[in-house]
Amino acid sequence: MSAYPKSHNPFADDDDEEDSGRAAPRRGFNFDDDPEESSLSPAERRQRQLQQEVMRTAQSAVDSSHRSLGLIYESEKVGAETAEELIRQGEALKRTERMIDNMEQDMRTSQRHINTIKSVWGGMVNYFKGKPEPPKPAQKDQPVSYEANSRLQNALVESKQQEDKYQASHPNLRKLDTSGFGASASLDNGPPDQNGYPKNKQLQAAHHQLDNNLDEMSLGLGRLKNLGLGLQSEIDDQDVSLDSLLNKVDSMDGKISSTNRQLKNLK
Amino acid sequence: MDNSGKEKEAVALMTEAEKKVKSSQSFFGSLFGGSSKMEDACDLYGRAANMFKMAKNWSAAGNAFSQAALLHLQMQSKHDAATNFIDAGNAFKKSDPQEAINCLNRAIEIYTDMGRFTIAAKHHVTIAEVYETELVDIDKAIAHYEQAADYYKGEESTSSANKCLLKVATYAAQLEQYPKAIEIYEQVATHAMDSTLLKYSAKDYFFKAALCHFCVDMLNAKLALQKYEEMFPAFSDSRECKLVKKLLDAFEEQNVDAYTDAVKEYDTISRLDQWLTTMLLRIKKTIQEDESDLR
Repeated sequence: MSAYPKSHNPFADDDDEEDSGRAAPRRGFNFDDDPEESSLSPAERRQRQLQQEVMRTAQSAVDSSHRSLGLIYESEKVGAETAEELIRQGEALKRTERMIDNMEQDMRTSQRHINTIKSVWGGMVNYFKGKPEPPKPAQKDQPVSYEANSRLQNALVESKQQEDKYQASHPNLRKLDTSGFGASASLDNGPPDQNGYPKNKQLQAAHHQLDNNLDEMSLGLGRLKNLGLGLQSEIDDQDVSLDSLLNKVDSMDGKISSTNRQLKNLK
Repeated sequence: MDNSGKEKEAVALMTEAEKKVKSSQSFFGSLFGGSSKMEDACDLYGRAANMFKMAKNWSAAGNAFSQAALLHLQMQSKHDAATNFIDAGNAFKKSDPQEAINCLNRAIEIYTDMGRFTIAAKHHVTIAEVYETELVDIDKAIAHYEQAADYYKGEESTSSANKCLLKVATYAAQLEQYPKAIEIYEQVATHAMDSTLLKYSAKDYFFKAALCHFCVDMLNAKLALQKYEEMFPAFSDSRECKLVKKLLDAFEEQNVDAYTDAVKEYDTISRLDQWLTTMLLRIKKTIQEDESDLR
């Protein structure tokens, strides 16, 4: 039988079971041994139970990791759609600001006209005041292309580098190397660099899948983080723009009502 | 709420407004400030329309708004006319979609005349939505979305333009107008690649473009995939890219099962939506046809 105490790892043991109910050909590495094929001793039965238990747990871990992965991708999709909406909103805000600036320009012109109409003196004042200032050129340039906050580009590059370093250093991410496990002389096959995967082929596959999923999950989470950061900075920018827009609209409102009053008086 | 009372009031207001209009057109009316009478009439029409809305009589409300709009047109106040046409359109949306589209079209004419393309584009989108849902005329919906996208592009609102273009592409692909869909998806994806926030959706668009290529011809799809990977390296890591590669392999081997397996695997993690399922089924049918040809 196996050279290892049972408590170490039940699956390293070379327990052959004649019971073909188990689909798992767990005997992969245990050519040497041919334990008695008669009735199973209680210990062996217990062992089989434990094996089944572990398979179940591994399977459910893989399933749950699939689900988590799905959720991560879904969040990413939602985030991407939100990003698009935000950008569109940002464009609309910029457009609105431009239009308000135009309106202000027009209001000034109309104010001048009203002054001229009201009185001759007003007309002369206008002449001396000169033309109203042309609109600031900066405003006109904005619509060329609305760029979302570009701080994120740097954050993205940084986080990728971080990720690589992190993976190299974090103990859990290094391939497991449980010693005293696979290096036995009696179990010849399977080169020792199984990387700590249990010998059981099916379990090995499950763990492999789990590891892959976990890797993808970590990548996905990294992307989500960056997306979130990008959204945050975009929203901050838009916040600032909204405030300035609010002020402009308020002052516009005042100007319009005063102009209306003046026009009514003119009548 | 006393709805029927409101309706009666509204009808009364309408008749009053009509009288005003008639009187303002008569000789004396035009002498004595006909325009103010017209304005009053417009006002009355507006109030009547609002009352009809309260009474939920949408067609009557729409009518009242259209009348107000026509009066405004006569008085040369285009802006007010357009706003009233929009109100009429909204009211008609609930009762008579065709009439709504007429009103909205007239409003759009006025806006484009005044040079307000953004608002015109927005209303094209509204019309397209009506064609999508109530009147179900996909071709006209596509036409309006395209028009809206053009106007938005003219006003440098690329994201809004892209939104409309994507809808055009979705419908075009469903109607098997693949070249058009491919062009739009590639265009939008290239634009998205460069933006820091939008690049998360770029892979999605490349995926859809690749699928459209696939529906046309497998070789196209392969070349396209390589091109996209070159343009956008992050695309190669995405699951969508891996799925397309698997599908290409399955197609080469004419192996329907491998195809279905790959699709199912992808589905377990991210659900496939209606559009994707349709396209994938189409591709699958071509595999099966080829198989049966060989037999």
